[in-house]
Amino acid sequence: MTSGAAGNTTARTWLPHVLMGAGILYFLVPLLWVVIAATKSQPDLLDSPALWFADFNLLENIEQLFSEDGGVYGAWLVNTALYAGLSALGATALAAAAGYGLARFSFMGKRFFETALLGMIMVPATALVLPTYLILSELDIVNTMWAVVLPSLLSPFGAYLVRVYVDESVPVELIDAARIDRAGELRIFWQIAMPMMRPALVTVFLFTLVATWNNYFLPLVMLSDADLYPLTVGLTTWFNTAQQDAGNRMLFNLVVTGSLLAIVPLVVAFVLLQRFWRSGAAAGALK
Amino acid sequence: MLGTKWMAKLRAGLVVAGLLAVAACGGAADNPDGPVRVSVWAWYPEFKGVVDAFNASHKDIQVDWTNVGTGPDQYAKLKTAFTAGKGAPDVAMVEFQQIPTFVILDGLVDMGQYGANDDKNLYAEWAWSQATDGDKVYAIPVDGGPMALMYRKDLFDQHGIPVPTTWLEYADAAAKIKAVDPNAYIASFGSDGGWLNGLMWQAGCRPYGYSQARAKDEVKINLTAPECEKVVNLYGDLVNKGLMAQDKFFTADATAALDSGKYWTWAAAGWTPGYVAGSLKNTAGKWAVAPMPQWTAGADEQGDWGGSTFTVTKQAKNQQAATTVARELFGRSKTAWDIGLNKAFLYPLVKDVAADPAFTGKAYDFFNGQKVNEIFVPVSEKLGEFQYTPFQDFVFKDLNDRTAEAMSGSRQWSTVLEETQKNVVAYAEKQGFKVSR
Amino acid sequence: MTRSVPITAPAADDLPPSPRPVESPSRRRRRRVTAHPVAGALFVLPFFLVVVAFLVVPLGYAFWLSQSSKSLALGTRFTGIDNYVRAFTDPVLLDGLLRVVLFGLVQIPVMLGIALAGALTLDAVTTKFAVAFRLIAFMPYAVPAVVGALMWGFLYSRTFGPFADLPALVGGDPIDFFSASLLLVSLGNIVTWAWTGYNMIILYSALQGVPREMYEAAVIDGATPVQIALRVKVPAIRQAISLAAIFTVIGTMQFFTEPQIMARFAPQISAGYTPNLYAYNQAFAYSDFNYSAALSFTLGFLVFVVAYAFVFVNRRRGARS
Repeated sequence: MTSGAAGNTTARTWLPHVLMGAGILYFLVPLLWVVIAATKSQPDLLDSPALWFADFNLLENIEQLFSEDGGVYGAWLVNTALYAGLSALGATALAAAAGYGLARFSFMGKRFFETALLGMIMVPATALVLPTYLILSELDIVNTMWAVVLPSLLSPFGAYLVRVYVDESVPVELIDAARIDRAGELRIFWQIAMPMMRPALVTVFLFTLVATWNNYFLPLVMLSDADLYPLTVGLTTWFNTAQQDAGNRMLFNLVVTGSLLAIVPLVVAFVLLQRFWRSGAAAGALK
Repeated sequence: MLGTKWMAKLRAGLVVAGLLAVAACGGAADNPDGPVRVSVWAWYPEFKGVVDAFNASHKDIQVDWTNVGTGPDQYAKLKTAFTAGKGAPDVAMVEFQQIPTFVILDGLVDMGQYGANDDKNLYAEWAWSQATDGDKVYAIPVDGGPMALMYRKDLFDQHGIPVPTTWLEYADAAAKIKAVDPNAYIASFGSDGGWLNGLMWQAGCRPYGYSQARAKDEVKINLTAPECEKVVNLYGDLVNKGLMAQDKFFTADATAALDSGKYWTWAAAGWTPGYVAGSLKNTAGKWAVAPMPQWTAGADEQGDWGGSTFTVTKQAKNQQAATTVARELFGRSKTAWDIGLNKAFLYPLVKDVAADPAFTGKAYDFFNGQKVNEIFVPVSEKLGEFQYTPFQDFVFKDLNDRTAEAMSGSRQWSTVLEETQKNVVAYAEKQGFKVSR
Repeated sequence: MTRSVPITAPAADDLPPSPRPVESPSRRRRRRVTAHPVAGALFVLPFFLVVVAFLVVPLGYAFWLSQSSKSLALGTRFTGIDNYVRAFTDPVLLDGLLRVVLFGLVQIPVMLGIALAGALTLDAVTTKFAVAFRLIAFMPYAVPAVVGALMWGFLYSRTFGPFADLPALVGGDPIDFFSASLLLVSLGNIVTWAWTGYNMIILYSALQGVPREMYEAAVIDGATPVQIALRVKVPAIRQAISLAAIFTVIGTMQFFTEPQIMARFAPQISAGYTPNLYAYNQAFAYSDFNYSAALSFTLGFLVFVVAYAFVFVNRRRGARS
């Protein structure tokens, strides 16, 4: 990037740039399609060139989106944000405490628990959802938001990542010094360790947020009330209905527009917060 | 189901956490003096109006309706609810081919004990016999799908191709269509279990038999009868020759193909007029309906594709009230059928509604003014008995997987039914059934 | 329960004001876990409770379910390991496993290869264009798998998708992305599209953590960027690469959402197309929750074996080099 090497650099970097250009096309075209398709009415969606605009129908689509089935899409959007936000907050808090505890304390069963963490990541979600349903049903909390939020608190990867990060970035000596100062363990955790753990916590928060935001199978099984659905389940329901009675209801355009609005908040969050989570991700990757 | 100690402990822990308090807000308690509330799962289009009509005309019973998903999505929820022992609605919409499945899962109430047998003569005979087992009434029929051939009248006329009246003529027409337009097909092999089943039904094939009243653990499976084989062979032959497309029905691709002149026919059902009128804009007015091609010239054999019922689940709190809801949501309700026929485009299984000139005499713009119900109604009247297995999902899925193999060329069409027969029999025996042919 | 006394800990007065005071390598390397076993356990306790409630108990319950068989006609009875014997001899499960393994053998190297190449490029090229590439490549990660699969379902369409007609430009037939021969490729593309950027960012972050001193010497020796990338950078982030690989292997073995959604377009996706889809269908379509639990357990066990074998081989190789 220095002016002296500029000529040399451009000569040498045309190939990487062409390859990156191809990559941008590959990753962007499907997203571009969603944006373009969301501006089309249902007949145009099935009848006009896929990657170019037809009559601009976006506002009508959005209006229909938020009024179809009594405006249930708005509820889905709120539900998704609520479930994902609560789960991510809770999972991050749990992972922060557990990761810190594992990295900076010694107690019985710790070794075993640490080894088990990787094993926990390997359990297929489909294996857990059904028994969890049966148990939560026994407790009468299926078909409530808790049936989605509580199981989503489980983030072994989050705990693992925080543990690794604390190991690297929160010096033992600092904690010991605080102890000599007679600071309580909770205070040390809250005032000394937490600020230093921030990049890891942002990472865990964002990743659990995405995991819950994008989860389909768990809410599909747990919820049977359309007003409680998150976006993924709601949009799939509409898609199935669109196939079932294409004649009666215009829904394909809503599925597309609804998908676009479901994606935008997460993309924005990631792009804005990338400075924070990248360093956290690096810690997880280094170990 | 989980009466173990840790369960109790876990529950106690959660009480402390105040979770049950939150959960308790979920279910509204029945007011002992107010109307009985009956929960209903259904995915009919325009169903809200039907529910409103019921609630307006009933003081003691009020319906709470939820759409939890279409077909398989809802069944998956029902099955989990039956397994968990709670969470099922009082009344659930169930398609005909699924009734024995839910009966054997012990999920459905016999409405006969609440007087539902009084409705016997209200409904088309074939539908009533599928919904019942002896005098046990497991389901109240709502809508059906008597089959007929939808075709592009303009194209057939223009190219002087006669509309097929037999399946032999149908195969001829397929070749002629290919000759005049290499990009066109007579139809698509849609990979739909109910559709193929309807075609086999029409061919006189009766592959399944099950009656819990007779024996809980006996089932008849005979997919390799010549009446069944001839259907798969005909369609397989058309696919092999490239005369039949392979798009799955109801995908946007298949819909677009119907609307672009790529398909010239669709062996469709009584609910088709509604389905196509909304989605096929370019070709509206160019279609017509003819009776199904016959296997023997001059015969009058018919089949059905699709149709649904209301059932009462064993988890219903008030089974008598739930039965009333199942019988009267549609049943004799004029308002409900007005919505059902003109907005949701259901084919009515209530005989009087189907015979009403308002239905039979209705001219459809989509079919260039043709009164297509004059074709569908006699089909429904002609339909005979047809039974299903108590594991029809498995049968349809296996049939679908085997035909998919045949379409991809990794299996001979002539072995499709043989293989499905083998797999289904093995499955049935594993499930503890005695299998006969 | 031994409490290690922090002999070397600096007194509070000695602490420099900087928030990261302990930079002396000799001190940092001495990693001691300090004291307060009860406090430590209390920090882990809430997480532990969630693990018990939503992992251990459901798993135990699933295992208990898998120990009996429910047949439609005969009802439920205890059958011990019968379900597992059935699973390991079930041709549908074995076919599904084979399919997933074949899929992984091709898709994982392709995806991680692209991700690694992208990460190395990002590490070497710091133009605005590269920043744009990094952001855009990551975006698909934020798209729910369900939405991604529905989207690609439209894009793969033969009638209105943008790609199917490409061969027509040179006179070929439209591509049928849902045909038996192309289906795995089509699914692989969806997964690659969704996860390449994510893996690329992980690897890129790891590269950023590689100290520049490690390859300054090589630069002075006149090594080309490609040589530096392959000889210095890639070995330096080997751990990150294998971690990404393990997670991808785990994800691939559990392949579910994309084929489940795609089955709405593609009749070629059978009930047992992937092991997880098979377990799902056993439970939710055939109501055989017992066998479904056994299938899930079998799958989980295999994932466990594969992942640990992978870790083991990797450690040994790491130790040798």
